[in-house]
Amino acid sequence: MISPKLVEVGRHNNIELITNSEVKGVDGEPGNFTVTLQNNPRYINPKKCTGCGDCAKRCPASAVNIINKGYNDRRATYIEYAQAVPLAFAIDMDACIGCGLCENVCLAKAISYSDKVKATEVTVGSMILAPGTKAYDPSQLDYLGYGKYPNVVTADGFERILSAGGPYFGHVMRPLDRQEPKSIAWLQCVGSRDTNRCGNGYCSSVCCMYATKEAMIAKEHIHGDLDCAIFNMDMRTFGKDYEKYFLRARDKAGVRFVKARVHTVTENRETGDLNVRYATDSGEMKEETFSMVVLSVGLTIPDTAVELAKRLNIDLDRYNFSKSEPFAPVETSRKGIYTCGVFQGPKDIPGSVTEACAAACLAGSELSGSRGKDIEVVQIPKQIDVTGQDPRIGVFVCNCGINIGGIVNVPAVQKYAESLPYVVFTDSNLFTCSQDTQEKIKEKIIEHKLNRVIVASCSPKTHEAMFMETLEACGLNRYLFEMANIRNQNSWIHSKSPELATQKAKDLVRMAVGRAATLYPMQEKRIPVNHRAMVIGGGIAGMNAALNLGKQNFEVVLIEKEPELGGFARKLHHTIEGGDIQEYIRKLSAEVMANDKVEVLLDTEVTGFGGYKGNFKTDVAVGKGRETRNIEHGVIVVATGAVEYKPKEYGYGESDKIITQVELGDLLEGKGAKDLETVVMIQCVGSRNESMQECSRICCQNAVKNALVIKKQNPDTQVFILYRDIRTYGLMEDYYKEARGLGVIFMRFNSDDPPEVKVEGDHISVITTDHVLQQKVEILADLLTLSAGMRPSDTKKLSGIMKLNSNQEGYYMEAHVKLRPVDMPGEGIFLCGTAHGPKLITETISQAQAAASRAVTFLAKPEIKLSAITAKVDTQHCVKCLTCLRTCPFNVPAFNTETKVIAIDEAMCHGCGACAGACPRQTIQLGFYNDEQITCKIDALLAGGM
Amino acid sequence: MAEGAIKLGGKKKKSTIMDMVKEILPDGGNLNACLTCGACSSGCPATGLEGMDARKFLRMAALGMDEEIMKSNWPWMCTMCQRCIYVCPMKIDIPQLIFNIRSRRPRDQRPKGIVASCDMAMKGETLSAMGTSVEDFQFVVEDVLGEYQEAQPEFADMEAPIDKKGAEFFLNQNSREPVTEPDEMVPLWKILHTAGVSWTYGSKAWAAENYCLFIADTENWKKMLHQQADMVHELGCKTYLNTE
Repeated sequence: MISPKLVEVGRHNNIELITNSEVKGVDGEPGNFTVTLQNNPRYINPKKCTGCGDCAKRCPASAVNIINKGYNDRRATYIEYAQAVPLAFAIDMDACIGCGLCENVCLAKAISYSDKVKATEVTVGSMILAPGTKAYDPSQLDYLGYGKYPNVVTADGFERILSAGGPYFGHVMRPLDRQEPKSIAWLQCVGSRDTNRCGNGYCSSVCCMYATKEAMIAKEHIHGDLDCAIFNMDMRTFGKDYEKYFLRARDKAGVRFVKARVHTVTENRETGDLNVRYATDSGEMKEETFSMVVLSVGLTIPDTAVELAKRLNIDLDRYNFSKSEPFAPVETSRKGIYTCGVFQGPKDIPGSVTEACAAACLAGSELSGSRGKDIEVVQIPKQIDVTGQDPRIGVFVCNCGINIGGIVNVPAVQKYAESLPYVVFTDSNLFTCSQDTQEKIKEKIIEHKLNRVIVASCSPKTHEAMFMETLEACGLNRYLFEMANIRNQNSWIHSKSPELATQKAKDLVRMAVGRAATLYPMQEKRIPVNHRAMVIGGGIAGMNAALNLGKQNFEVVLIEKEPELGGFARKLHHTIEGGDIQEYIRKLSAEVMANDKVEVLLDTEVTGFGGYKGNFKTDVAVGKGRETRNIEHGVIVVATGAVEYKPKEYGYGESDKIITQVELGDLLEGKGAKDLETVVMIQCVGSRNESMQECSRICCQNAVKNALVIKKQNPDTQVFILYRDIRTYGLMEDYYKEARGLGVIFMRFNSDDPPEVKVEGDHISVITTDHVLQQKVEILADLLTLSAGMRPSDTKKLSGIMKLNSNQEGYYMEAHVKLRPVDMPGEGIFLCGTAHGPKLITETISQAQAAASRAVTFLAKPEIKLSAITAKVDTQHCVKCLTCLRTCPFNVPAFNTETKVIAIDEAMCHGCGACAGACPRQTIQLGFYNDEQITCKIDALLAGGM
Repeated sequence: MAEGAIKLGGKKKKSTIMDMVKEILPDGGNLNACLTCGACSSGCPATGLEGMDARKFLRMAALGMDEEIMKSNWPWMCTMCQRCIYVCPMKIDIPQLIFNIRSRRPRDQRPKGIVASCDMAMKGETLSAMGTSVEDFQFVVEDVLGEYQEAQPEFADMEAPIDKKGAEFFLNQNSREPVTEPDEMVPLWKILHTAGVSWTYGSKAWAAENYCLFIADTENWKKMLHQQADMVHELGCKTYLNTE
């Protein structure tokens, strides 16, 4: 999943990767920082290294493989992991014996033993600190046996055991005897929520989900039955769609979730199995034996990051996370330096990606004045016209060091290629992908007037785009290129049969030549981008998105259906940290109104919609008079928000003594808690039930927040919080602890035994079962507060007009839950705030900044190039069976009711080819992959005689 | 535990036992911080006795169920091993809670045998819960030593000194050994002899039993500790070796 991101970063023109380096100091001010770097030697020049791996194959010195947690060895000459960027090896000088073998075998001449530490400087306008996290080391917790019993592993170690690139190649085995485990126990909160043994009072936020995931994957990988038990205090599956995953693990996959904390792990010395003893909820002692125990270790800040923060004068909190304000989540204490990811606070991947975009947004708005400067612009020469020419094919066969050449007889393949139709030039290279070979290819294209190019080397997934750029750079249309993968699909898997591999390489080249002859130039349509953004929703999310776009000098139209800005937050008073929400909204809306790039339309609704990415046209009805306006804009930011659920449960509405948390917030802000003797709160009202499976994420902290206000206003008020799992994730765990410290009583109930509520005159009686004493409890309260969950705003009409997809709960869907959390599936449409899912104000702000950032990447372009790889319908032969409409995962094909034909908008088509494959009459063709271009490969294969 | 439903809520009770114990302990013993995770009960040797365990007991205290707490005999089953606080993520001082609840029970209602042992210890100057006198102890030690010096020539010059001034270690001794199993004293003598260290018993305040601690008789426990400390000082020993 992370691989394409790595490749994209590695290849990006405007990203300079400086690896193996540390920031030693920063001088200057925002807009103009001078950063001093210490570049540590890697002893292998990453510009020359092709990643072929011959050095590591020959290296005689071994070292502990740290990335695999020491479960296997690596060589002293090594690459950390298969997807690493840059894909270049390094020498671990602590392990190197100085034999010189790697220098001898390296055909790319990349080895340089004399590399030294260097000091360099870079000048930048703003900085983002993303030093990441380190898993907690449980060695000091002697009672858990890590480091003593081989089959006790940490979760990050188990992650490597599950990985195909890990020590056991993805086969789940336990370290002691490499046997498949029959049962595995996960122990949660190791190094988190513990102020006694490790001082990490916070919740690491991610362990409940990763433990569940690891259990699910382990069950998939293991043949036969595997018993998985997760020992936990609270299951914190609070993210979008996480509760559904938890339920699937529990109810479908049979993962056991045990509410208990194990005291001690002991080992059976004969079998290596592990015994755990624990007290059940009822106080009964149980003993179980597991083949393996996985410690769900928490997230910590590495010492190196703490030192970096000190050098840079960045304030840290008591757990060493970067200090931030609730309304400025990605800003550090030093102006112009931003942060994201776990260094900001414990969080998962979507949260980290969102924050990364938010940090990029703020870092960029600081520099928006100089946008377009200091970047590399690729100059593309005019295209050579090849129409009417017979194919003149050039074939470049790659040795890939010895990766291909060591198995496949490359000269024989090259000679064979010469004999194929239309081939006028052949060549072979040590590394076809190296920079100097690109220059050579260009020369040969011009010299031999080549009009089709084939590279027989590795995978088009990683290299096709680069070779296509080489073609473009000498005027050849990029779609006149074809690849034959004679490495991944040949030499690597047939290394024991060189002759057959050579034969297969010839077959693959012949197929490529067959297809190359059928290729024709295709032009990528360029469409201009309208540089105005439309933001829908004027709450905290919409206002932040609009403001940040305005600050980056883009025109914004902000639409709000209510007569004033602020959204649902107008009903809220303080964040759990104490931030004044009303004051924040006042300032924020004043800033939005004052920004001359942002036009605010209040009392306004969307009534019509058309167009496509970069060129949307939206009709809106403005103000009381419902005056219609047509707005042209390039992007959309959806920020329609959410509201508090109106409970049907627990007698809500029957008594003014039964209120919601938001109403309690008003009460505490107004007359306060001085008259209250006992307050009961019930969690998960309208969440985690049959009609709303998902967790509403914010209610636990909301209850704790209000309980703290009560206790501070009136210490004598008794507060009881009836809950299912307390989900005060991340740093909010401290507030949960504070609430307990002030005497708030937390009582857990099961969903099948919910509390009973009776209105008795002036009082409310709540009957529940205390989970510890296992006894009925009757609490006499003068106020019952329901922690009502969140519901998305009613956007049915809007979604219908703009064709925006939402999930079954009604929250809008993102393009990719992990990697693209603020992009919607349709290009040019972005998403933020509670319209995406329940979240805190702090999280909403960073997501809004993230959406603005993503929108800017679109708006900053003068025009966009549409891929030529799109589907086209032959309307003459189409029978309008609508199969394509049902097949397309992006809902692009549409039946035009006026012209009565099926239309596939090329601006919206993703080029996946699903419709072309499904069309029963073959009336849909996908550019670059039309039927002839595929069948000719099969013909060419068969022509060789199987 | 209570019959029927536990009644909670209404007006806050004046002050519960837990409130009072919290005032005595540093950081209130973290008694309020319980996550109800059960790690304490999972590792406690007294879990399940009388249907009670550490987590439940703390819970009753937190819910202000003072009457039930005072009635329960469970606190007397705690061995004060501290396995609970060792792993408790909140470092809740359950042993101290137990101790302070024991101390709140009228002395005549505490376990009879232990009370009698404490009383016996307080009677003589040896602090022996079995009432062993200075002379008896001296006789047994010398007698046993003589036997071993004779029977095992390699230990012919082994010592078991009493009131040796300026010895490095002051060793205490549970009185069960000199009274009922005198041979059991010898292995430790041998170790100390082989290690070549200088040690001594005291003729007074040598007994190691902690019965006054177990019945939470703070006053007598304090007296005992003073007598032991005085003896160590009198002999000028540097280290007090507690064998109990």
